[in-house]
Amino acid sequence: MRYPQRMGRISVSGRKVLLATAAMLLVTTTVAACGDGQDDGAKASAPKAPAAIPELTKDPLTLSFIWFDWPPAHALEAFANAEYKKERPNATIKVNTVPNANWHDAMFTQFAARKTDFDIAILDSQHIGEAVTNGNILDITDFVKNNIDVKAYNPYLLAAYGQFPQAETGKRDENASLYGLPLLGDTWTMIYRKDLIGDKPPQTWDQMISVAERCQADNPGVSGLAFHQANGSDAAAVTYNTVNGVYGGNLWDAKTRKIEGVLNDAAGQEAMDVLVNKMKPLTAKGSGNWFIDEVNAAVAQGKACIAFNWIAASGGLLDPKQSTLGTTREQILDKLGFATLPSQKTNLVPLGGMGMHVSAYSSTANQAEALNFMKWFERADIQKKWAAAGGVPSRTDALESPEFLNAGPFNQVYTDSVPRMRDMWNVPEYARLVDIENTNVNAALNGAKKPKDALDDIAKEQQGVLDSSSRKGGGGL
Amino acid sequence: MSDPVPLRTDAVQVASATPPAPGRSRRLSDRGLAVAFISPALLLLLAMSVFPLLWALYLSFTDYSATRGGPAHFIGFGNYTAILKSAQVHQRALTTLIYVVGAVGLQTVLGFAIAYLISRRTHGRGLLTTLFLVPMMLSPVVVGLFWRFMLDAQFGVINSMLGSLGLGQVEWLTRQRTALISLIVVDTWQWTPFIMLIALAGLTAVPKYLYEAASIDRASEWFRFRTITLPLVWPLLLIAVLFRAIEAFRLFDLVYILTSGGPGVSTETLSFHVYKVAFLGFNTGTASAYGILMVLVVIVLTQLYLRYLNKLKEG
Amino acid sequence: MAVSVDEAVSTGPARDHTPPARRVGGRGRSVLEIALLTVLAVVMLFPVLWMIETSIKENRDVYAIPAEFFGFKVTMDHFKDVFVASGGGRSALSVSFLNSVVVAGASTVLATTLGVPAAWAYSRFAVKAKKDQLFFILSTRFMPPVVVVIPIFLMYRQVGLIDSKLGLILIYAAYNLPFTIWMMKGFVDEVPAEYEDAAMLDGYTRLQAFWRFTLPLLVPGIAATAVFALIFSWNEFVFAIFLTSSDNVRTAPPAIAGLIGGTTVDWGLVAAASVVFALPVLVFAYLVRKHLVAGVTLGAVRR
Repeated sequence: MRYPQRMGRISVSGRKVLLATAAMLLVTTTVAACGDGQDDGAKASAPKAPAAIPELTKDPLTLSFIWFDWPPAHALEAFANAEYKKERPNATIKVNTVPNANWHDAMFTQFAARKTDFDIAILDSQHIGEAVTNGNILDITDFVKNNIDVKAYNPYLLAAYGQFPQAETGKRDENASLYGLPLLGDTWTMIYRKDLIGDKPPQTWDQMISVAERCQADNPGVSGLAFHQANGSDAAAVTYNTVNGVYGGNLWDAKTRKIEGVLNDAAGQEAMDVLVNKMKPLTAKGSGNWFIDEVNAAVAQGKACIAFNWIAASGGLLDPKQSTLGTTREQILDKLGFATLPSQKTNLVPLGGMGMHVSAYSSTANQAEALNFMKWFERADIQKKWAAAGGVPSRTDALESPEFLNAGPFNQVYTDSVPRMRDMWNVPEYARLVDIENTNVNAALNGAKKPKDALDDIAKEQQGVLDSSSRKGGGGL
Repeated sequence: MSDPVPLRTDAVQVASATPPAPGRSRRLSDRGLAVAFISPALLLLLAMSVFPLLWALYLSFTDYSATRGGPAHFIGFGNYTAILKSAQVHQRALTTLIYVVGAVGLQTVLGFAIAYLISRRTHGRGLLTTLFLVPMMLSPVVVGLFWRFMLDAQFGVINSMLGSLGLGQVEWLTRQRTALISLIVVDTWQWTPFIMLIALAGLTAVPKYLYEAASIDRASEWFRFRTITLPLVWPLLLIAVLFRAIEAFRLFDLVYILTSGGPGVSTETLSFHVYKVAFLGFNTGTASAYGILMVLVVIVLTQLYLRYLNKLKEG
Repeated sequence: MAVSVDEAVSTGPARDHTPPARRVGGRGRSVLEIALLTVLAVVMLFPVLWMIETSIKENRDVYAIPAEFFGFKVTMDHFKDVFVASGGGRSALSVSFLNSVVVAGASTVLATTLGVPAAWAYSRFAVKAKKDQLFFILSTRFMPPVVVVIPIFLMYRQVGLIDSKLGLILIYAAYNLPFTIWMMKGFVDEVPAEYEDAAMLDGYTRLQAFWRFTLPLLVPGIAATAVFALIFSWNEFVFAIFLTSSDNVRTAPPAIAGLIGGTTVDWGLVAAASVVFALPVLVFAYLVRKHLVAGVTLGAVRR
């Protein structure tokens, strides 16, 4: 009988140690968590960047960016290391890249950690609201006033990549604060097969659909249209928003924060009907999960008459190694045309691209370097060089320069599109709004929901997200 | 692998291996040793598994958000009632259930069939088993990416082969039904070997004399299978099935890569939904409650698993 | 049932167990069975073969319709791209492979160092509520990673472990520890405690007895256990994608996943990276083939 008792004692004492340690761990971390919580409350708005660039360090310094993995990210790193080093030999540029699907999460989990491995976040234009509200990026209003020639830009581009609260389409609010500067402009281009539908691109959306229809009928194995339909990132949402804009719809009423009844009004319903019942039947079977790369592959394989894609993502189309359209760039260009989007009731096009935003958690020296980099990057001569290196600049002089217009067959499309751009909602709830729209539009495109139901669901659920600030549990479902 | 390795049925051997402890000094050192050897491992588990779970439990009663900051407000069972009442959650639960039942059911039948066929072979069993096991060893990332490539409706090799056979294209990943089926098929492809491996372990251990006795009685093959093989293999198989059910219930990576929940949200599993709640809106409190509810289900399944495991071990 | 199983084992190699019914009309059936097995094997292995084939195709042929099974031009460029960046130097993928080696290796070492002594103690000493402790340990392994990652994330941000290799190493070690303890306990149980008793009679302390006599006998078991831990950590994706973001920390699974979702998908590169990534696992799995059943059930089922 003695024996088990003895053993019992051993483990009891062992357990006590364990329990005590666990309890201590629990207490310390909880205290730390609470302390952190109060801390957060105090600095809930974005900290201000200095109006003038502070003195820069002479020590070696690595300026880090975060972006998703695509050619412009590699172009930026190469360009900045070649050119910026001429001014600042001690600075090295590193562009961290994450999978596109993980882009928002990767940036905002680090913001949430209050520690970032990047100094400049390349946020999607609609991420600004979330970052500003949480105090994750610097307020650079004063810095811009003192260092950037704002008149050199189309005001909407400055607003789109920097301003919060959001500017209405095409306008900039001079009194609103700025949190970023343009890095890479972008919009959709229409890619069409000159050898199949002729040199002249269709001018209206209806015309575009009928041309695609005819092309598909005349060319077995080639589908009329190819566009983004996936439910990840912002793929299907941008597609619907584009059609919605072209057919005169609105995504929301920003002033009253109303989506229900605005998005799903008559124009919105018509846009959904056009997208699902007229455009979708002209796409390839099984294209319901296509995004940038699948659309590019379809074009490169000669499987689409007309396609829509982001300009910044279209460079690969001219690469003969990836294409069956020709063995040289010239041969490919004989077959592929690039045009601005057709118009219908309006001529709106989607705003893409991203701005540079300084992380609030980066060291002072790196923040100073980041500001210096941004000032440098927005210089007229550098913007032209960026254009020549394959980037899309934002300064008007650069956009109209031969360096830019000759760098790619789609660059003229961008310059022509700038006055026609419209963005989505730039609010802290953006990630959820776009997910609701993505999944529902994707469901409608793939027959999992009726188009009208999908649109009504989007409006209802998005309105719910906007209204749920005074929630009592269950937020985010 | 064909080597007949003894199927050991080692119950958790209580104290039997413990030597008598005569001297006082040795007793002390035994006690010290046990604590010193076990506590670091337990501490790591407490710190990395138990503590985070307790923290999640605490957060699940609050409206805390990891990005918005600010103090967490206690909101009682608000998150839990919201989750349990949410139609969105019910839909994901149903999807997960169909997926778990479909995938685990399919791989059990297939896995057992393959194991049965292999166990009847006299030559090349080692090689066969090894070949069949390859899918299981691959990372879910590789499996997901590659099947996505093969299932592509336009350029995928599966549709290409169907085309050569004169069959039409199938939209594997973009139709509600087929997308879920594709998910089940891919999971089955990867995990059938798991069931097969364990079933094979059971089958090779079925004593020969039982069959011999049966053959003297001129019992039919089916009768022998039903009365001898199956009952002997069943306990082991059940463990494999439960194990797979737990894993399938937690499924995240395959959905993330293969369909990202589409079309619409029709292949979103519970894990995937938790991810969206946690990282899209950063509704940490809700996500924690959602996670705790999932953990409760896992605990029930684990208890079942452990009970059968115990039964098996104690014979 | 256990009794009969044990007897079965002693009756001799299962290889001999050929159901007698084969004698009657067994031939046709045998052919059918072989055919069935062959078909199943082809189905199971086709994706792997297709992956290998894609990895040596030129990108233009990758999308060919109808699919090209033979007679395409073989290229090794994709394998070169896995390791060498387009402009020369090391590619981001090869860095991630290296990170995977470090993270999987270190976490395995940690899990083994903590797990083996614990397994020995659980096997040798009558710890109170041993069964409960062991089952508790195993159940921690079954937590859904997506759920665990939320509090782990909050915890890591307090202590600065987000986006660090150490953070991944710790979580992987904790993830592999239950498995290591269960698997190793089985191996320790197989070593008679009498060895240690005898050693102690010779004047060794228990620790010395463990170190000098038991541990050397456990080495093959430790190796097998470590290999499984290595495979789990090597393949892990969920923690890796949510807890890391920079190139010099990211492990291979999220890096390979990152190859899609750009502007063009280089499927040849994806396939080549997958092959390179899977190869060590297959080699390791082959090395521990005798312990596979125990390994894949986290040490719960042994044979």
